[in-house]
Amino acid sequence: MLPLAHVAHYLWVLYVIPILIVAGAIVRNMATQRRLAREDAEEEAR
Amino acid sequence: MSFIPLAHALASRQDLPIPAWLFAWAASIVLIVSFFALSAAWRKPQLEDEHARPFGRRFSDALLSLPAQVLCGAIGVFLLGVAIYAGLHGTEAPDRNFALTFLFVTCWLGFPFFSAIFGDLFRPFNPWRAVGRAAGGTFAAIAGQRPPHLPYPERLGRWPAAVGLLAVVWLEVVYGASGGVAVGLAPHAAAVAALIYSVYTLAMMAVFGVETWCERGETFSVYFGMFGRLGIFGVRDGRFYRRRPFSAATSWATIPGSAAVVIASIATTSFDGAQEGAFKSAIESTFEWFVDRGLGLTTSLRLTDTVFMLLCFAGVALVYNLGVRGMRTVPGAPDFKKLRTGFVHTLIPIALAYLVAHYFSLFVFQEQAQFGYLLSDPLGTGHSDLFGTVNNEVDYNLLSANAIWYVQVAALVVGHVIGLMLAHDRALVYWPDYRKATASQYWMLAVMVAFTCFGLYLLSVANG
Repeated sequence: MLPLAHVAHYLWVLYVIPILIVAGAIVRNMATQRRLAREDAEEEAR
Repeated sequence: MSFIPLAHALASRQDLPIPAWLFAWAASIVLIVSFFALSAAWRKPQLEDEHARPFGRRFSDALLSLPAQVLCGAIGVFLLGVAIYAGLHGTEAPDRNFALTFLFVTCWLGFPFFSAIFGDLFRPFNPWRAVGRAAGGTFAAIAGQRPPHLPYPERLGRWPAAVGLLAVVWLEVVYGASGGVAVGLAPHAAAVAALIYSVYTLAMMAVFGVETWCERGETFSVYFGMFGRLGIFGVRDGRFYRRRPFSAATSWATIPGSAAVVIASIATTSFDGAQEGAFKSAIESTFEWFVDRGLGLTTSLRLTDTVFMLLCFAGVALVYNLGVRGMRTVPGAPDFKKLRTGFVHTLIPIALAYLVAHYFSLFVFQEQAQFGYLLSDPLGTGHSDLFGTVNNEVDYNLLSANAIWYVQVAALVVGHVIGLMLAHDRALVYWPDYRKATASQYWMLAVMVAFTCFGLYLLSVANG
């Protein structure tokens, strides 16, 4: 038998996953925006 | 799932087609889809103007006439009087005494639920406002002038109401914690608290003026009025009018301390939902820590619960402030203070969603008692049967566990979608370029997803 006696104590992890996905998407989006802005600025400087 | 030997039977009591956590995932997807739908289709602010459509003059005049106001105020004063009398002289059994169900269920939950649909219903029935206005009118008739008042300190804003809100919930769920009954507070204690609050409120009204105190400091006016801003009816310049749903909420948070009121509402509901579920083991550990330090059992329990309630307040405030900090990173953002105030109203539907999700079933069950045996025998002594309903008991089969769960999920999803909608609308005011407005709202989307998943987690554990 698998040692799952206390598995229910970690159910909260499943509720955190959607928050992490959204937070990750925001951070990724921010990084992309900053990279594009930096590239635009460099292109203008050239 | 019976092959998994769960240690503390935390498996849900409902018979759901999918695990409870999958509802959180589905709710998050609904929020994300709503977010992109708003971004694509909603490109100009729609809710900053209430689009008020006044009712006919005769109808307004009849509804707002002095006799109607006196009648509503008298009803409020009478019912408060009955509740206090029942608390002082009735049975000490909390579930058989009119006072507790009336104060903590019928009023405390009923006014938010119905005000969110119809507008501020508490204002005409506010017993303290009625007494204050009657006293002011009498003073004016005798002295020939309106009673003088001190100017209200602007910085104080709605902070007295926020503290009052925490105090009311503390009284109910911390001081009165006893378990086993809907509201565990002793009726006598509730009646004494109501008397003390009445004296305090009337004194503040005398000092600062009735309407000023109701707008800023009177806990129940501010709290119920906040939900009333979501509703479709209002009164302005002596006219009763219809307005666009949710539009009045956009102008609610201009007074300092408003954020504390709505955050206190979400936090106290969360705490009440979590104390017997998600926070149970942490509360027990902290309780034992206090007991080991030599404190009495009751003091330790109350101290522990107080600490966790304040932690909930800090946690909700932190999540909201993180969302606002995130918005600040979008080019063209106003300063932090303006942003924080500007988006506070987006939390009102979330506060309502939490209330509905956590207390909907309690409300349905206890209102059967309210309009059954409590109405006929307010004192609970078994000596009266005023309306012949003293033998009407509560039918706990009226709602199944599944029905309650689906209402909870629906309330949370709808509440957070409305919150997103309000936030998107306000973002379009600060960032007229809809692309920047959308970028700023990624952060509010994260806040909404966090509150939704947290709320569903609390409910799933509490229901287990």
